[in-house]
Amino acid sequence: MWLSWSTPWLLWLLPLALLPWLSHNTDKTVAWQAMLPHDRWSRFITLALKLLSTLLIAALLLAMAGPHIPEQWVERSRQGAEFVILLDRSRSMDDIFNRPPRNLLPRKAFSTRSKRQVSGDYLGEFIKRRPDDRFGYILFSTTATEILPLTYNRDAVLATVKAGSLGKGLSQTDIYRALATAAAMFEHEPYRGSRNILLISDGGVALTASEKRELEQLLSKMRLNLYWIYLRSMRGMTLDPGDEDNLLWMEMPERKLHQFFQTLQTPYQAFEAGSLEEFAAAIDEIDRQQYQPLIVQERLPKQSRRAVFLWPALLCLLLLAVARAYTVWGVMRAFQRKH
Amino acid sequence: MMLSYQKRILLTAIIMLTALLLVMAALWLPPIKRDVKIMDALFVLDITDSMNVQDVTLNGDKVTRLAWAKEFTRRAFLDMPCGAHAGLAIFSEARSLILMNPVEVCASYNDLTRMLDEFDPHMAWARSSEVSKAVYTAIRQAKEIEPEPTIVFLTDGHESPPINESLFPRFDGKPGDIQGVLVGIGGDDLLPIPKTNEAGEIEGVWDVNDVMHQDVYASLRADTTTNVPAKRTEHLSSQKKAHLKTLADMVGFEFVSSPRSPGKLVDAVRDVSETRPQTIDYDLYLWFAGIALGLILLVYLPYGLFIRTDD
Repeated sequence: MWLSWSTPWLLWLLPLALLPWLSHNTDKTVAWQAMLPHDRWSRFITLALKLLSTLLIAALLLAMAGPHIPEQWVERSRQGAEFVILLDRSRSMDDIFNRPPRNLLPRKAFSTRSKRQVSGDYLGEFIKRRPDDRFGYILFSTTATEILPLTYNRDAVLATVKAGSLGKGLSQTDIYRALATAAAMFEHEPYRGSRNILLISDGGVALTASEKRELEQLLSKMRLNLYWIYLRSMRGMTLDPGDEDNLLWMEMPERKLHQFFQTLQTPYQAFEAGSLEEFAAAIDEIDRQQYQPLIVQERLPKQSRRAVFLWPALLCLLLLAVARAYTVWGVMRAFQRKH
Repeated sequence: MMLSYQKRILLTAIIMLTALLLVMAALWLPPIKRDVKIMDALFVLDITDSMNVQDVTLNGDKVTRLAWAKEFTRRAFLDMPCGAHAGLAIFSEARSLILMNPVEVCASYNDLTRMLDEFDPHMAWARSSEVSKAVYTAIRQAKEIEPEPTIVFLTDGHESPPINESLFPRFDGKPGDIQGVLVGIGGDDLLPIPKTNEAGEIEGVWDVNDVMHQDVYASLRADTTTNVPAKRTEHLSSQKKAHLKTLADMVGFEFVSSPRSPGKLVDAVRDVSETRPQTIDYDLYLWFAGIALGLILLVYLPYGLFIRTDD
C-alpha cells in the first residue's frame, strides 16, 4: 500500500541525513596518525555509528513529513435504500399544518408550525433513523436543481433539510422537472439497491401528455420507487375518489397527478398526511419497507503511519545514545587517570 | 566559542539522551486537548444576471464575477480551520435562499463544493436583483439558525430596479445583531450585462430600454430634489462600492472590496465573528520529533567549516 505525505516538502531536507559523514565535531584530533592503533573493530563501529545517525535523521524527517494512508472508500453490503428528497418550496407550504377550520372555535390548542417546518422535522427524524442510506436533495420551484448530489454524509443532508424549512417559500412548483431531475441523478450510477423518490408536497400540477410519457419512461428506466407524502390542503379531500366527494374536488390537480402516478409501471405509494400522527405513520411505513440489501460505500478515515518511521528512529537513537554514554564514561575515566 | 573535547562529548551525550526522550514522547504521548477559535459562516452568493459580466481576473484569466465568487468561496472553505462551520445560500430576486445550514467544513468539504458547483444563473427564480433586501432576508434567516452564523455576502452591489439613496428599503433589525462581511466583486468600468432567459441561458445583453433607470418611488414624487432625471446607465454594471459601503454601514457589516486572497477574507470573517471555542485533539508529535531532529542536527552540523576546532 502506498503512502501519502501531508507535508511533502519536508522530504527535500532528506540530504541533511548525509551530515554525519561530513562532520568531525566529536573527533579527537591526534597529533600523529601513526600513533593510532589500527583496529578493524573500531573502524567498523565508526562506520556503523555514522550509518545509524544517517538513518536516524532520515527516519525523523520521514516521520515529520506526515506519512499516512489516505482516506479510502470501501464497498460494504448493508440494509437500506437510496432516497432523493423532493420537498415542495411553494408559497402554500408556508401555511399552518393541520389548521383547524376558521369557522369553528378551536377546542384544542393547535401547533402554528408551517407545513414546510413540519415536513422538515419529520424528514430530519427519518434521516437520523437510517444510518446507511444515501440521500440526495432537489430544490424545486419554477426550476429544479440537484443541490445535494447523492451523499452518505448525514451532517450535510440534515443541514440541507434544515435549511429547507427556513424563511418563506418560493413562487411555483414544477413537479415534472423535479421528478425528471431526480431520475437523472441516477443516470451514471451503478445499481446498488432500492432507489426511491420521496416527494413531499401539498399540491399537484396537471402534466401534459408528452411530459407524462417522458416521466413514465425515465422512472422505469432508472428502476425508481415513488413515494408521495401529500399534505392535505383541503379538509376532507382524499386523493382517491370517494362516494361523498364534493364536486369541486373532481378536477383538483393533485387527484390528476395521483391518477397518473397510479398508471405508472414504477411502484408507487401515496400517503395522505392530514395530521402529525398520519405524517409520523407515513414516515414509519416507508422506513419499514426500505430495508433491503444495499451496497454502500464506507469511508475509511486516513490512517497515520508515522510509527513505521518513529520506531526505527527510536532504535537508532537508543544505540547512538548508549554508544555516546559509553564514550563519555571512557573519556571521563581517561581524564581522571591523567590528573 | 571553543569547547574542549571532553565537554563536547558530554554535551552530545546529553543531547542524544534528550532527543531519545523526545522521540519516546512522540511515539507514546497521547494527543492533548486544546481549544481553537472557530466560527460559523454563511456564504451567500449573488446569482443574478449582473454576476455574468466578465470583468474579474482569476489565475490570470478573465472570468465572470460568479465564477470568481464560486472559486473564492471554495478556497475560503480550504482556509477555514477544521471545526469551523460553513453554510451556503444563493441570492436572486429580492431574497436570500439558504440551501445548506452551516456544517463542519472539513468533514463536509466534498458536499459543500459539489453544491457550490451547481450554483448557476438557471437557479434564479426571477430576473431582478435587489441586493439590500436580500441582505436583510439573509440576516432575518440567520437569526433562526443555531448558533447564529456570520454572513459572508458576495455581490457586485448592482440594484435592479435601482434605488434612490434617500428612499432606501427599510431595515427592521438592529445593526450588528448578526455579524457579516459584504464582499464586493467586479471592476470599475460600466459593462453590458448578459441577459438570461427563463431557462437561465444567456441571450444577448440587457438593452438600455429593457431596464428601469430610476427608483420607482422617486419617479412618482413631485419634488425635484429626489426626482432628478438620472443618467441612463442602469443596463450597464460595475462594482457599486459606494452603495455597498452605505449598505454595510446600515446593517453593521464590514465591507471588503475585491479581497486579494481567500485567506484575507477568512481573516476578516474571523475578526467580525463571535468565535466560539471548540476543543480539539491536538497531536504534539510533530513538535517532539522536530525538536529531537533539531537537537541531533546540532550535533552534526559542520562547525569545522566556520570555526577552527583543534585539540
